[in-house]
Amino acid sequence: MLRESALAYSYDIDLAAIADPTIPLGVPGGNALLEFVDAITGVSNEDLSSAQLRVIEELGPEALVDAAAVFGNFAMMNRIAEGTGIPLAPQMEAREEDLIAMLGLDRLKKH
Amino acid sequence: MAVTGRRLPVYASAMFSFNGSPVPVRDDLKSAHEAIWAHIQQPGQMFDADRRLSILDAARNNTYAEDDPLGRLATTLYTTPADVNGDLVRSAIAASGDPDVVEAISLVSMLAAVDNTHRALGAELEPLPQPLPGDPAGGIATGLKQRRTHVPMPMTSVTVALDLLPAENEAYAATCGPHYMTFTEMGTPVFERSPGLNRAQLETVASRTSLFQKCFY
Repeated sequence: MLRESALAYSYDIDLAAIADPTIPLGVPGGNALLEFVDAITGVSNEDLSSAQLRVIEELGPEALVDAAAVFGNFAMMNRIAEGTGIPLAPQMEAREEDLIAMLGLDRLKKH
Repeated sequence: MAVTGRRLPVYASAMFSFNGSPVPVRDDLKSAHEAIWAHIQQPGQMFDADRRLSILDAARNNTYAEDDPLGRLATTLYTTPADVNGDLVRSAIAASGDPDVVEAISLVSMLAAVDNTHRALGAELEPLPQPLPGDPAGGIATGLKQRRTHVPMPMTSVTVALDLLPAENEAYAATCGPHYMTFTEMGTPVFERSPGLNRAQLETVASRTSLFQKCFY
């Protein structure tokens, strides 16, 4: 839904930033949010406090709570999808083929 | 605890202070976490509360028994969900049955929502609640099909993935609104919390999170 919502907000986004946060995403505060996720997960070496501060400074304290909550929500939904075995729908696979390849998610085609 | 002549559940009042968070947490999110704690400490449809909490404690602390396929699934799902595959789930189903597996998936996933929100805020994890007495409620849904999924469900959708146990799916669905959006809101490309993030910003976090967990959702 990032693609659809960016369109709705008239953001000119580069989805490659989802895989590489050094690329400007094109969403207000987007790269701060990507780097926040990387700091939580340990993908980056950045200190969590620094990443939190950037989100607060660029988007406000409420945004940090929202971002943390979304992180928690998708920790939940991803586990439900994986545990119950929700496959990628064929029509979605066809529609998002470029995104799947860009993000290296080819394993999702098998279950 | 308030003195009202009625004992309050132990999750009330003193818990979910989000100690360590640099910002205050909005009330609806705090209430959602309290509701999850209230849910996990009750007897479920398949397990009594002691069993529910022992599964969660083992998942959090990576202490499942080697001869416990359900425990292994629950712990792997909590710690490294990308390692959960069909064989692991089917092994748990063979040992315990579909309904037990669905309850375990539900519990672990909701725990992951609470714990990962805390981790993101830099807040201390909340101790698990005390189990409440009572027998499992039963009430497994009938007529559901397995489809291309590991467990039976009414249709292939993450929104009803736990519907084999309606109370679990209901608890999970209620959690989504305060953390992200309700299932209804998910259908529209425009959504805003004010103050807070808009849909595109929420999806930015969701996308990077899902990529990290190697899940398309």
